[in-house]
Amino acid sequence: MVLQFHYNSLRAREARAGKVLGKKPVLFLCFFLAIAFLSGGIALLVMKSAFAWICFSAGIFIAMIIYYTKKELIPVPARHGNTSTNPSTTAEVVGLADINDVLSNDVMANLPKNPKPLDLAKMVQHTNSGQFLAVRYGIGTKLLTELAKTLPEDTTSIFQTAVKIYQGTNSEEIHGAIIAVSIISNFPANENLLKQMKLEMADLLDGIIWFNYLNGLVKGVTKMVHSGGIARDMNFGYIPTLQRFGQNISNISKGHMKTQLHLVEHKDIVSQIVQIFSNDGRQNVALIGAEGSGRSTIIHAFAEQLMDADSKLPSNLKFRQIFKLDAAAILSAASERGQIEGLLMHIMDEAYNAKNIIIWLDNAQLFFEDGTGSIDISNVILPILEAGRLRMILTMDKQKFLEISARKSVLTNTLNKIMVPPANEEETMKVMQDQVPVLEFQHKVSYTIWALKEAYHLSERYVHDLEMPGRAVSLLDAAGDYALPNHLVTAESVQQAVEKTEGVKIQQAADTESRSKLLNMEELIHQRMIDQQEAVKTVSDALRRAAAGVRNENRPIGTFLFLGPTGVGKTELAKAVSEVYFDGEKNIIRLDLNEFVSPDDVARLIADGTEDEMSLTAQVMKQPFSVVLLDEIEKAHPQVLTTLLQLLDEGILRDAKGREVSFRDTIVVATSNAGAEKIREQVMSGNSLSSYKEQFLNELMQSGEFKPEFLNRFDEICLFKPLSPTDCLQVLDLILKGVNKTLAPQKITIILDDNAKQLLVERGYDPQLGARPMKRIVQKSVENLVAKFLLSGSVGAGATINVTREMLESELGNVN
Amino acid sequence: MFMVSLLQWWYFRGWGVFANGLKQKLRDSADFFSISQLLRTLFKPFRQISANTSEEMAGSKMAAFFDRLVSRIVGFFTRTFIIIFGSIAIILEALLGVIFIVLWPVAPLIIIVGISMTIMGVTL
Repeated sequence: MVLQFHYNSLRAREARAGKVLGKKPVLFLCFFLAIAFLSGGIALLVMKSAFAWICFSAGIFIAMIIYYTKKELIPVPARHGNTSTNPSTTAEVVGLADINDVLSNDVMANLPKNPKPLDLAKMVQHTNSGQFLAVRYGIGTKLLTELAKTLPEDTTSIFQTAVKIYQGTNSEEIHGAIIAVSIISNFPANENLLKQMKLEMADLLDGIIWFNYLNGLVKGVTKMVHSGGIARDMNFGYIPTLQRFGQNISNISKGHMKTQLHLVEHKDIVSQIVQIFSNDGRQNVALIGAEGSGRSTIIHAFAEQLMDADSKLPSNLKFRQIFKLDAAAILSAASERGQIEGLLMHIMDEAYNAKNIIIWLDNAQLFFEDGTGSIDISNVILPILEAGRLRMILTMDKQKFLEISARKSVLTNTLNKIMVPPANEEETMKVMQDQVPVLEFQHKVSYTIWALKEAYHLSERYVHDLEMPGRAVSLLDAAGDYALPNHLVTAESVQQAVEKTEGVKIQQAADTESRSKLLNMEELIHQRMIDQQEAVKTVSDALRRAAAGVRNENRPIGTFLFLGPTGVGKTELAKAVSEVYFDGEKNIIRLDLNEFVSPDDVARLIADGTEDEMSLTAQVMKQPFSVVLLDEIEKAHPQVLTTLLQLLDEGILRDAKGREVSFRDTIVVATSNAGAEKIREQVMSGNSLSSYKEQFLNELMQSGEFKPEFLNRFDEICLFKPLSPTDCLQVLDLILKGVNKTLAPQKITIILDDNAKQLLVERGYDPQLGARPMKRIVQKSVENLVAKFLLSGSVGAGATINVTREMLESELGNVN
Repeated sequence: MFMVSLLQWWYFRGWGVFANGLKQKLRDSADFFSISQLLRTLFKPFRQISANTSEEMAGSKMAAFFDRLVSRIVGFFTRTFIIIFGSIAIILEALLGVIFIVLWPVAPLIIIVGISMTIMGVTL
């Protein structure tokens, strides 16, 4: 096996010649000269000059060069037929005798004699595939030259790896991207290097396959499309009305990029459609699947197959054209039901008489239900479907299909149903890679691999109206508008697109401020709540683990159950967590579960946003980075709790429309007063809550207040102890801090002496209600007092009011 | 070196490339004129032009029959014209191609002959 580049091999010489002759100005000059010599030859011949023959010779010679250049030199084809009789120095390299037979045109044209690894690295930037890898994977010349400097002078191992990659990726030739990946592969610390770039070797190999695929598409575009010729439609009728109200999706021409089906299921579906339309049975197909699952792509691929003269289809299907009916156009053209029915009958009649039409009812539900932009004309369509003489394709959302099935079982029983499943990650990536050239052309940008990966992951969480692969592609499309100034679409562009289009904030705990907040979480929380050290520590530890990535990505960030008496800080801790973790108390979604006490309330919990914007699913869709506070959870109906189990377990909840709503960026906090008395008794008797916790939870389960499977779903269960009078004194300080904050715009400060504070604690402390009455007592005493001072004009801006016990006694005396 | 590469290609791969190109061009032309399709449907109505046959009345049926007859006659003549025109075009293309294939190995020699004729001062 020859693993050295031969500078003087025929292919290498041709490649270098092609590099010069293949340039457009050179080719143009050749064309011009050829025509000039041939014309000159004719002129000289007429003038009876012997130089005519040399002109003809020159013209023919240049014409030969042009033909040679166009057919052989750009690009120089690989010599696949040249197999080795004694194959390989390695077991994998079989059937290839000389690497020079498969080196790509641009690789050979840009390599010097006896190239070193550094020459290979520098060559990569001059190849199309090398530029592809540089733009999409960030593997540029600078990186490659740095790596090449560390490698041995001999290029054998690079070429040997390149051959393995060439065979492993089923490439047609060894191009620049393969050489680049080979250089990386030969770099000893390549794993660490790729990790830093958030890549794996598999990603690079996938990149080579991606390039090969796009290269193949570009080559395919230049091929002539055989689509029946001028006689194709002569046997088929005129369809003026259908052309007005429908769109012919079968019009393909040279330059059209063939629709690719990347899902095995989709290919099977096209075969099924062919089967159904080839047989004598009911000539209809209903593609049932969510929007974005690829229903339209399947039909476009089918339409192309029908119009391809070279495809192996039954003659009764070849050259049939698919017309997509536009419900909106039909509805706008005819205002009354009778007129619409008449128009549709006319269209169908025209389609039937034309003999070559397949009608496609996209969003077929629009024709089967009355509403805005839709009308129920099933009485017209049903007989056509039953008769089966006109071929029809219907595409419908699964949910809508079920709804229509419930109302019109005869209609749905007439249909040949085919379910269109959503794509998985690998398939979605392939579809996105396929769509990238189109999006790049539309947006005039270049997409990086990180943008594609991010589009998949973020769309999975935040795009709810579509199914994969459509949801990822739609996000990728939107990200095109948020490209960097260098026209690159990166992961950040996709994040921006999600933030702008879906209205969600993609937060990252990577920056220094966030890290510092997480590390000092307890301190920050205690700035606004008193005591409950154990609960605060438990929650902080769990959230730190989550932020550091030590958590299950398929669950909420944290799930906590706070148990304890009222007024001890359960809700306050949830609010504090929201403020510290999500940068604001407003990122809290609060549900009082005492309003969800019947089985019917489950529907309210998961209602569609258009019907109830305050439903849990609708709120989380709008604001996925939130604390979900489920207050008084013990009062919820068991069916409501069962619904919430899925949320706690998998981090998702299906809404009324069947859409998956992700709770994986939420912190779920459930609070309950269940067993509050027992907690109080334990604390009063001087026992530690941590040692009592297990027994307490067992008692709760035995009493039937909570089922074990429910309690087990929480990451942490925190017991909150009742507040002591000393704790209440600290709570009072926090409340007074709040009052001073309110008065700050008026430049007034209040200061309470210790006796005054003591009085408020004596009056405000209630072992049953915790700190809750403290707010009321401050309102009734301190705030009332300040209001009177202000209204009487006895204090002005910049004043400090010193409040004494006596002042409060007189104020509270009046109240009580 | 370049001349050697060119001549090497011209007498080996180049000849085949040209022949394949001609084959592809003839296939494209055959698809464009679709003669086999035209022959199969020679007597079919042209663009399905005919009166609606759903009426039961004898007059309408008769009108539909004549409509279809006219449509078939129009179709026959249109198709026949295209078949004749297309066949001539394809035959000419094939003939021209064959001439080129035959002359292919002579092309480099023509250059030498041309230079020689100029040196010899041959004129018309």
